[in-house]
Amino acid sequence: MSGTLARWWSSIAFRQALIFAALIVCTMTVLLALFYVQTVGVWQRRIDSQIDATTQRLVDYHKRSGSPVLGTHINNLLGDGIDSDTEVYTLVAPDGHVVAGNLAVTPEITTPMRSIGEHRVLRAGRASRSRLRVTALNDGSILIVGRDMQDQHELEQLIRGAIFSGAIVTLLMAVVGALLFRRQLERRIGTIRETAARIERGDLAQRVPISAKQDEFARLNRDINAMLDRIHALMEGVRHVSNTIAHNIRTPLSRVLARLYTAQNAAKPAEALPDAVGFAIAEIQDLNVVFDKLLRIAEVESGARRQTFATVSLNAIAVNALDLYDAVAEAKGLTLSHTLDAQPTVTGDGDLLANAVANLIDNAIKYTPSGGAIQVDTRREGASVTLTVRDNGRGIPEEERTRVGTRFYRLDRAVPGWGLGLASVLAIARLHGGSLQLEDAGPGLIARLVLPAVGA
Amino acid sequence: MRRCLIIEDDTENAQYVANGLRELGWWVTVCRDGVDAVGRAVGEAWDAIILDRMLPNDIDGLSILKTLRSLGRKTPVVVLSALAATDERVRGLKDGCDDYLTKPFAFSELAARIEAVLRRTQPDEGVREMHVADMRVDLIARSVERAGRAIALQPREFRLLAFLLLHQGRVVTRTMLLESVWDYRFDPQTNVIDVHISRLRSKIDKDASVPLIHTVRGVGYTLSPGGPSREVAG
Repeated sequence: MSGTLARWWSSIAFRQALIFAALIVCTMTVLLALFYVQTVGVWQRRIDSQIDATTQRLVDYHKRSGSPVLGTHINNLLGDGIDSDTEVYTLVAPDGHVVAGNLAVTPEITTPMRSIGEHRVLRAGRASRSRLRVTALNDGSILIVGRDMQDQHELEQLIRGAIFSGAIVTLLMAVVGALLFRRQLERRIGTIRETAARIERGDLAQRVPISAKQDEFARLNRDINAMLDRIHALMEGVRHVSNTIAHNIRTPLSRVLARLYTAQNAAKPAEALPDAVGFAIAEIQDLNVVFDKLLRIAEVESGARRQTFATVSLNAIAVNALDLYDAVAEAKGLTLSHTLDAQPTVTGDGDLLANAVANLIDNAIKYTPSGGAIQVDTRREGASVTLTVRDNGRGIPEEERTRVGTRFYRLDRAVPGWGLGLASVLAIARLHGGSLQLEDAGPGLIARLVLPAVGA
Repeated sequence: MRRCLIIEDDTENAQYVANGLRELGWWVTVCRDGVDAVGRAVGEAWDAIILDRMLPNDIDGLSILKTLRSLGRKTPVVVLSALAATDERVRGLKDGCDDYLTKPFAFSELAARIEAVLRRTQPDEGVREMHVADMRVDLIARSVERAGRAIALQPREFRLLAFLLLHQGRVVTRTMLLESVWDYRFDPQTNVIDVHISRLRSKIDKDASVPLIHTVRGVGYTLSPGGPSREVAG
């Protein structure tokens, strides 16, 4: 039992519902208490003022007519059948005998009092509780006016009982409600947990079922599913990439091995070796570069570098890159020109953006024949900043454009490179919440790096 | 004789670095154990420490570095690690290393970086003017003269020349030039640096009796009146 209780208590839904129920019970109690005090209190005050008024009337009557007439009047009042269940009148002569009335006289109730009090009395032969006003008249007689409270007390007890049982019912309902609430919540969370468990077992295609309701859970489930879609896509990407990586790393490795084995088995190993070693070093250095670039792309895609984002000017980055590449462009007979906007600032990683811009310019230089022109522009338009690298080289055929940006995809195997440049530009653009757009410049290529502007 | 402590658990790698440094005239001690390394790094005087990050018993080399720095030791430390991600690098630099080189590496790159780090720790302050052979460079006015004839340089070319000058007689690698002159921490694919150097060379060494800028094959460049330094031949 205590185990079950502990389990219930560990459920946040149960605890919340119970706390809520406790709040309701408290409110109910306060409300009922207030209700009780108000009704019973008001009732009593009304009775008291009635007693006062009647006493006053009878005292005046006595002043005018004297004790015997008052006695007759009291008998008339008692016999008129109005309020006969509750009315209390008694007139006691100075010598102690009862002139008229329905109370058994005791010394306790024949002592004049300043205020109305409640007493145990014997009214018409029946024990009861009454509120009484005892007044001394000017001839020494005692007038007792009052009201039997027995029924009143029974009513009060009834109300108290009702309040108490009401509280018990509320409490019970609160506990049952808490349990139901917990079950409901558990069921909604259960579907999420089941999906999570299935995913944990390795089935990444699982999704949380979304009910038709548009409540918080439906929204949460949609968010979770969106997250799962992203993870799924990343995993697919990793699978695809690991295949291409395996290919692109094993190929040079086998080339190196082949060359070294050949040298080892050559007729004159000593002569073949230096060449083979040189070849191996060059290939392994290349592999290292490929590896480094792949890791960098992976690092960018992980999003970890968002933490160090700062405000950077694309102009400064473009100027630095242009400065780095102008010598190469000149050496290749290309003109490298630029037009810079006044305020192309973005929030991002300066190193990575520089890398992206350098890659775009690098590509343009590689794919533009001697005599061509490369134009680099920065431009702020509304909420976005665009850096454009336009060349008049061979461009990229439209059907190939979507494949550019895939790792190891290369347009022309004769041009040196690894097919990782645009892949890293794409990853960097995405990290910054931007995009890379490729267009035909007829002839040539327009590569646009579009990023969200600062303060946009 | 300069003393270097190599903290590296991989025997092959440690031997490679140690042999290279010994050829350059260093007195080298190799330490393969992290715990032992802390004592030696702190207890003895070293001119440079080469530190691997992933050491046996799950010791991160950076903890040794932190200990050293917390004791106020300014010994130049070059971290050598396979952990290449930017944040790992930043962590290394934050913890107080003077340079962070990722594996695999060429010994020539390591040697060039150790030299650069040693120089950085003893800066030639207040140097206004530098002379190499018949070249005179005014670092404040940013003017260059060769054999009494003024040479006009672009600002970036001047920075390139100044960097080579500050490392006179020592090899600087392409990566080092990219990092210090262009502030780039990645390798552009094209041979951009080579073109810049050949441009600078055409301005500095054209018609000169002694060439000053030399290519060190497979490594980088060096500026000296006497041809490539034999010191760091890779």
